[in-house]
Amino acid sequence: MFVCLCKGITDSDIQQLVLEHGVGSIRELKQHVALGSECGTCTKVAQMVIDNTIIDETLFKNVG
Amino acid sequence: MQSTSTILSMLNEVLTTELTSINQYFLHARMYKNWGFNTLNDKCYKKSIMDMKQADKLIERILFLEGLPNLQRLGALSIGEHTVEMIKCDTGVQITQIEQMKTAIALCETEKDYVTRELLTEILEHEEEHLDWLETQDYQIQNMGIDKYLQAQL
Repeated sequence: MFVCLCKGITDSDIQQLVLEHGVGSIRELKQHVALGSECGTCTKVAQMVIDNTIIDETLFKNVG
Repeated sequence: MQSTSTILSMLNEVLTTELTSINQYFLHARMYKNWGFNTLNDKCYKKSIMDMKQADKLIERILFLEGLPNLQRLGALSIGEHTVEMIKCDTGVQITQIEQMKTAIALCETEKDYVTRELLTEILEHEEEHLDWLETQDYQIQNMGIDKYLQAQL
């Protein structure tokens, strides 16, 4: 899915940046791509994509 | 004829959704056309034109109620990269819009604006029909496989 239509950036582009370059915030993401530099409508969705990609098993402690 | 500010702001929100939907379906239609899927192109193109007509009715209603239709505001588009994703994106948009329409119709009821309610009910009917069409496509893809499905759309 296209997250940023102004610059043609997809959710898989963002996921790749999170996984391979350790991007964890919009500010860090902007260092790699020009996302959110034109109309800014996409920042909310971009943040959601980052958050959903970061969540993995290592974040959860086994308390059982 | 004057109306309450709650009705007018609700109508403007519905208008924003319609205006966003026009662009969403227009882009999806032409993406399908670019890939040669003419059946899907026709369906999305017609949906876009239908949304335009619905937006027109909303604009006229807002002006009739002495409000100012906001044609400047536009929501975020949800554009897929391939057919399955595009259908998924459209489904998401339809579900959100149907929810919004139901809340709007309920507001018309409490504010006793029955003419606006009728207009919104008509729009809701079309939106539900399109959601049903999207669900049918999803069912066909699940059962036929994407290759056969796409072949049927040429």
